[in-house]
Amino acid sequence: MPSDPLILGFDTSAAHCAAALLRGTTLLESRIEEMAKGQAERLMPMLQEMLARHGAGWHDLAALGVGIGPGNFTGVRIAVSAARGLALALGVPAVGVSTLEAQALGLPRPLTVAMDARRGEVYVQHFGPDGGPALMALDQVTGVQGALTGSAAAELAERLPQARVLPAVQPLPEAIARIAAQRRTLPLPRPAPLYLRAADACPPSDPAPLILEG
Amino acid sequence: MAQTLTFLGIESSCDDTAAAVVRLSDGRAEILASVVAGQTELHAAFGGVVPELAARAHAEKLDLCIEEALLRANLPLAALDGIAVTAGPGLIGGVLSGVMCAKGLAAGTGLPLIGVNHLAGHALTPRLTDSLPFPYLMLLVSGGHCQFLVAHGPERFTRLGGTIDDAPGEAFDKTAKLLGLPQPGGPAVESEARQGNPKRFAFPRPLLDRPGCDMSFSGLKTALLRARDAVVLENGGLPRQTRADLCAGFQAAVADVLAEKSRRALKEYMALSPTVPAFAVAGGVAANAPIRAKLEAISAEVGARFLAPPISLCTDNAAMIAWAGIERFQSGARDGLDLSARPRWPLDQNAPAMLGAGKKGAKA
Repeated sequence: MPSDPLILGFDTSAAHCAAALLRGTTLLESRIEEMAKGQAERLMPMLQEMLARHGAGWHDLAALGVGIGPGNFTGVRIAVSAARGLALALGVPAVGVSTLEAQALGLPRPLTVAMDARRGEVYVQHFGPDGGPALMALDQVTGVQGALTGSAAAELAERLPQARVLPAVQPLPEAIARIAAQRRTLPLPRPAPLYLRAADACPPSDPAPLILEG
Repeated sequence: MAQTLTFLGIESSCDDTAAAVVRLSDGRAEILASVVAGQTELHAAFGGVVPELAARAHAEKLDLCIEEALLRANLPLAALDGIAVTAGPGLIGGVLSGVMCAKGLAAGTGLPLIGVNHLAGHALTPRLTDSLPFPYLMLLVSGGHCQFLVAHGPERFTRLGGTIDDAPGEAFDKTAKLLGLPQPGGPAVESEARQGNPKRFAFPRPLLDRPGCDMSFSGLKTALLRARDAVVLENGGLPRQTRADLCAGFQAAVADVLAEKSRRALKEYMALSPTVPAFAVAGGVAANAPIRAKLEAISAEVGARFLAPPISLCTDNAAMIAWAGIERFQSGARDGLDLSARPRWPLDQNAPAMLGAGKKGAKA
């Protein structure tokens, strides 16, 4: 039905430009272009081309979904900044969707999503009665309930042999678009990056001298 | 030309998130709104701008600043003729956020997108404030930059010289840090220097013995550190008056170097026989009153008009970006949604690199 809302989801939180277009609940297209760099140049033309392939333009969009991480800090900011600019210009909601949540979409609960965070750490979220996203050392993740999914699931399963590993139900951009479609009418804050890891910043090593009065 | 152009400007290349609306009407430029959200407190504990912290703040403040600027200008996005954004040089995380937000705005509104060189923003400010005709001599002196440019056109600049190491603003910040003064260092050191004796410490005036307009400030920073350490060793701390004397001595050295190099740059510039000779300064260090006074005097010596924009337009702001966008737009420039954010982007592409001359190319 042409009156169904058009939803665009996109993500640059990893080494890719990813996007998916939904008409209502029907997936029109999902696409992931792998790239180590150049996401800032490629993202907007890629979205525009996708809209055009389905006879649509920016103004036909009813909502945006954007991946807010966790993931590459700069990559997350590329998509989030574009989404906030687009939302302001189009007057449509931009829904921030965590990549942990996106990977959990459609999988049975309880479920633990674990993503490789490098440096021997993982981004983890338990989807059950309680559980927010967290950054943990790989060897601190114990007692996983339910199945495991995500890029660090296989590695965790080696340590926790009782855990079953499940693949994601749909590609990341499609999941982001579907979650955005579900939430677009809710009052939501503007999309903001979900970093989980603190910025590298050290206080100065050289203390200021003692000031002598008089 | 009766054309009216209204542009949004977006700036996020260092530690200020800024948005502004500028209108050109009947040859006159007017700043309808200029919003600057600084991050001084965010970086205060670290003794300098932390790029990742700056980028995080920009990403969540940009659209808010833009909305605020439009609100103050009392204009909807639809009333604009274009969107100008700093596309470099600067801290890449912040520049990227600004560029992506601008692309989102441009795509969503269908307005033209213009990427602006941050340095061109500073260098074209005298045209925003005073409609200064080309060619004029520009000294751009801030926390990240220090160079003499002859501005021939909105996109044509010749660099006569610049710092081969640190920028003076950075040296002011470092001086404040070494002497236990607050950041930003410029105003703190200037204020302290008023109580000080500039002659007590003999600080070097680097590169004055060499021809040309190049400058160096890193040696001055080291000299200050040595002088401080000697005093602290002798007294077990830094006496308040000595701190003022160190500030005065440091500021005098910076002023002397900038003054003498300005004299040389003016000589080169005047050889071009400009019809309306003018010397303009921009950047945060141009806010320093003793330095400003010295440069003004030197300009008067050769009969060039001296221009220093108001402080709010000397330091980082988005009005200058909107204005530079208007100038680029008028010369036919348009950028696509594939516009790149560039950490390094020298204004004078022909001049040999002075800074960061590695495989990534010149910084500025």
